[in-house]
Amino acid sequence: MRDAGWRAVELAAQLLDRCESEAVLGDLEEAGGSPWRNLLDISGLIVRQQALLWKSWRPWLASFGLALPASLMLMGFSLSVSLAYRHAGEIAMPLLAGRMVLLAAWSWTGGYAVAAMSKRTLWMSIVSCCLPCLFCLARFRVPSLPSACLLLFLPAAIWGVWQGSRLSGIKTRTAILLATAVTLLTLLFMGEGLPATTWMLIWPAWYLAATAESNTL
Amino acid sequence: MLGEFEYLLISAASGLGDQAYSGAIQREIAAATGRRCSIGALYTTIDRLESKGLVKTWMGEATAQRGGRAKRMVRVTAKGVQAAKSFYDAVTGISRGAQWAVKDAGGTS
Repeated sequence: MRDAGWRAVELAAQLLDRCESEAVLGDLEEAGGSPWRNLLDISGLIVRQQALLWKSWRPWLASFGLALPASLMLMGFSLSVSLAYRHAGEIAMPLLAGRMVLLAAWSWTGGYAVAAMSKRTLWMSIVSCCLPCLFCLARFRVPSLPSACLLLFLPAAIWGVWQGSRLSGIKTRTAILLATAVTLLTLLFMGEGLPATTWMLIWPAWYLAATAESNTL
Repeated sequence: MLGEFEYLLISAASGLGDQAYSGAIQREIAAATGRRCSIGALYTTIDRLESKGLVKTWMGEATAQRGGRAKRMVRVTAKGVQAAKSFYDAVTGISRGAQWAVKDAGGTS
């Protein structure tokens, strides 16, 4: 029984930083309290740390200012690209390719910015992205297309999140070039018929440019 | 100015000297106040004090008693000593005329 309880405590400790988790588990082992007490203790620490993180504007912006609206817009653009691909004969190939690159660029910069903005609340940003996806997938009614086409943006977005959570940052020059390229791609390939709010998808790239540090890669 | 719990933590760490680590501080505070302090309160306060530059922490050695896990050692910085002294002076200063302080002084003289 103690082993099962202690395993639950160790599992909960995975949510802490590696060093902190080791120190906390050591303190609990030393104190020799009941597994239930230890689990409460460690949960209390996790809740307190998360609550402190949410005092900053960054998690709010990452989750509700970027992940949530961007996932809706990227699903819309994924659908638009899929329809264009479906009717490939009616649209010039370079235009279709440009739109695909634009979708990947928006998704990657969005994912990178979400992770760079608030790594420790990434779980909430992921939830904020997944909920609209599940909602739209459940209501998807386009007979000529599979519902998975809504999620075309996901691979590039996941790649961006993965890189954003591991790299320390982007060099200022690279970030400005990237933001300029994304803006140009948007001007050239966004196309008509999309709401003006779709322009919002370029701000993650400019956010990365504004927060880039000259001494980082 | 420090908060009450921050002061308790700095005082416990200062009293423990080279042996100051999170678990020992927790026991010291419990012994002094008669109340168990939670790991959550302890670690978030240590983090806050460290971000203010009042304490410095690092990972210490592991012991068998701790299941082979390292300790989070704590040392009070000069800035932390100054902040704790200011808090102590304020508390002793404001308590000078208080009933319980006067009684204590009367009893000991």
